[in-house]
Amino acid sequence: METLLAVLPLVLDPLTLGLIVVGTLIGIVFGSIPGLTYSMALVLVLPITFGFDTVPAIGMLLGAYIGGMTGGSVSAILIGIPGTPSAAATVLDGYPLAKNGRAGLALGTAVVVSAFGGLFSLAVMIVSVDFVARMAIRFGPAEIFALVLFGMSTICGLAGKSLLRGMIAGTIGLLLMTIGMDELDGVPRMTFGTTSMLQGVHLLVAMVGLFAVPQVMSVLVNYKSGSQASYRTEAVKTELPSLRQLGSNWSVMIRSALIGTGIGSIPGTGGPVAAFLAYDHARRFSPDKEKFGKGQLSGVVAPETANNAVTGGAMIPLLSLGIPGDPATAIILGGLLIHGLAPGPMLFIEHKVEVYTVYLAIGVAYISVVLIQYFGIRLFVKILRVPPHILAVGILVVCTIGTFAIRNSFLDVYVMTGVGLIGYLLNRFRIPVTPIVLGLVLGGSLEREFRTAMILSEGSLDIFYTSPLVLFFFGLVIAVLTFQLVGERRERAKPKSNVQESAHAES
Amino acid sequence: MVYSIKTIRKLILTTGTVLALSLGSTQFTAAAEFPEKPVEMTVLFGGTAQTISQLLADLMSRNLPQSVVAVSRTGGGGAVGYSHVQGTAPDGYNIVWNSNSVSTAYHRGNMPFNYEAFTPIARISTEVPALAVRANSGWGSLADMVKGVKASDKKLKVGISGNGSFTHLTSAALFANLGIADKVVYVPYGKGKAPVELLADRVDVAVQWPGQFIPHQKSGDLSILCVTSMKRISVLPDTVTCDEAGASGLDITMWRGLAAPKGTPAAVIEKLESAAKAAIESGEFVEASNNIGFTIAYLPADQFGELIASDDAKISNLMSDLGLKK
Repeated sequence: METLLAVLPLVLDPLTLGLIVVGTLIGIVFGSIPGLTYSMALVLVLPITFGFDTVPAIGMLLGAYIGGMTGGSVSAILIGIPGTPSAAATVLDGYPLAKNGRAGLALGTAVVVSAFGGLFSLAVMIVSVDFVARMAIRFGPAEIFALVLFGMSTICGLAGKSLLRGMIAGTIGLLLMTIGMDELDGVPRMTFGTTSMLQGVHLLVAMVGLFAVPQVMSVLVNYKSGSQASYRTEAVKTELPSLRQLGSNWSVMIRSALIGTGIGSIPGTGGPVAAFLAYDHARRFSPDKEKFGKGQLSGVVAPETANNAVTGGAMIPLLSLGIPGDPATAIILGGLLIHGLAPGPMLFIEHKVEVYTVYLAIGVAYISVVLIQYFGIRLFVKILRVPPHILAVGILVVCTIGTFAIRNSFLDVYVMTGVGLIGYLLNRFRIPVTPIVLGLVLGGSLEREFRTAMILSEGSLDIFYTSPLVLFFFGLVIAVLTFQLVGERRERAKPKSNVQESAHAES
Repeated sequence: MVYSIKTIRKLILTTGTVLALSLGSTQFTAAAEFPEKPVEMTVLFGGTAQTISQLLADLMSRNLPQSVVAVSRTGGGGAVGYSHVQGTAPDGYNIVWNSNSVSTAYHRGNMPFNYEAFTPIARISTEVPALAVRANSGWGSLADMVKGVKASDKKLKVGISGNGSFTHLTSAALFANLGIADKVVYVPYGKGKAPVELLADRVDVAVQWPGQFIPHQKSGDLSILCVTSMKRISVLPDTVTCDEAGASGLDITMWRGLAAPKGTPAAVIEKLESAAKAAIESGEFVEASNNIGFTIAYLPADQFGELIASDDAKISNLMSDLGLKK
């Protein structure tokens, strides 16, 4: 407490406060534009922080990280293209809400629950950093493999009516991920002997392609044929969720925040998994499952709470063990190092002041997120007044620039286009694209952790059934699959009204 | 309008002369006033490599009339970025923040050209891998560890960064030197996770960068047994070298530096070389080196070139011994 009081004036110093807000703003802007991510915002901000003292520098970096994490929901809800991989799950219900003229409500809710998730994980971090770090260490390759497999099982929830179609999409994602240089052995795969293909398919590039290209194409096709789908723009206004709306989602928020903090603290998993798991669990335990995917508010609450709860969770292994969970936290690690803060158990003893700075800066960043977004929403929703065919062209331009900027590679722009065309075809065959994203997000860790586990066990499969944690997650996978298959069978056995509905969808 | 042959010929001649003159003059000014546009520094890896490069670019910009911009082109163990820079015009506007990865990427067969495709500018820094064990392992020295491994019928699990990575090559050379190469299993971890895997008792030894171990050594969880260079390193003055600890003759150091495509004019190289030298002599760079845990080790272009060549031969031998060479 004394340290906290000592740190307070440091963080509330006008320069520090200003830099946190600027960092947050940069993060939100980068997060909300598809193809530009918070990793990029962090790379951009890092050199600016070189010139500042430790406290304002850390504040600015954390602001950009947190702003970016929340910004992803803006484009996910408004135009159906996630700004960051962590916001991919938000599209599922956020975008339908926007289409129904509830964009303001969806955005407002996303902001509020984001801040809730973030502050929740911050509290967990402050209270139990030691305990959580010790838990996180217990996740070795075999345990992470099992957890990731559990993450893959959420495909069931995303597949809609047909598990088979979901599996096809998930497999496409997994296959795409094998292109490039294999991480463990450094062997080129599926590169056709070219050097440029060694860089592989970047998750973000594929994601932008999958969400943006098919949408732009169908808007333009519809425009040509005159059947323009229009938003109900006249109804758009800023709308924060009422207490009653939040109240009814209270338990979803708590559970999603726990999922996010937990997943965040295990390195190598991160935001997207947490968001999908939270979404899936919210749908599974909801009394009106049917409404999910059509604009259910809980479908925004769950992933947005979880992906921001990841921020606090991810800080735990970063600060206490020095391992970054994803590229974004790796850049923060660089920033901490350059300012003389070597993460590790000693950080909490030798640099108590700076650690509390991190805590406070995260808190301040979330407050500024809420303020900036509250006023920002009025501006953001104006984008819906733009005629769809013109907006579509603008989206394509931004996505092209964004995908190029990720690695300064023009090949990535071709990849985005190619993957996008595949996505358009899949839409036509009613194969959902979200599982592809899941395959892309998880494919790398799934393969890497499995192979590392097998190397550790010197080729014996024992490692997968001797650890209770592994068995626990395997059990969850089996439970999810059973639920899904039983549910599908029941669905088929239902009376004819359903058949009519599907026949209608087919026409 | 009808042109006579003569007019046309005259026209072509004048255009040609004007073109030749203008081209000549731009080339002239380019050589005289390099740089007249921003210089792009391609960065091959994320993590600390990227952090150092951004600071270096920032500091170099202060010593040049134009800025130096660090641009990340990751992938293929460096091959993607090297290929990009190798394919650009040799005019000094595209340089690469390189490392021994130029040798590993080539010998692994991931790119069709080797270090000779680049002109060295300057070596900037060195990093020396270190070997650590758990503090409660009962191994107080490298000799203890060797004895323990020889007495046991179990294999020693060694955490490294990836097969064919620099820490893998270093470990392979070290364990061959110690005569226990056949009792070792290498466990590749990406993204700097090896120290934590060591803490969690899933591997017995980790070979990584000192900065990753030091906080855990301070807290009493890990102990660093040796560093792989011939000389002790500044961040760990009390830690013996592997050479002192029984791996006689072992001397492995990773360097980072700057290089430009082959054929870049000497005058341009000189300018970049002096800008880099000034940058790394600044207080900020010195402070960063202490904080991040690398050693500033300036070498001028010619000596840097010799080092790259001799290290390339070393790495080539090491990789063919390991069966990693293509």
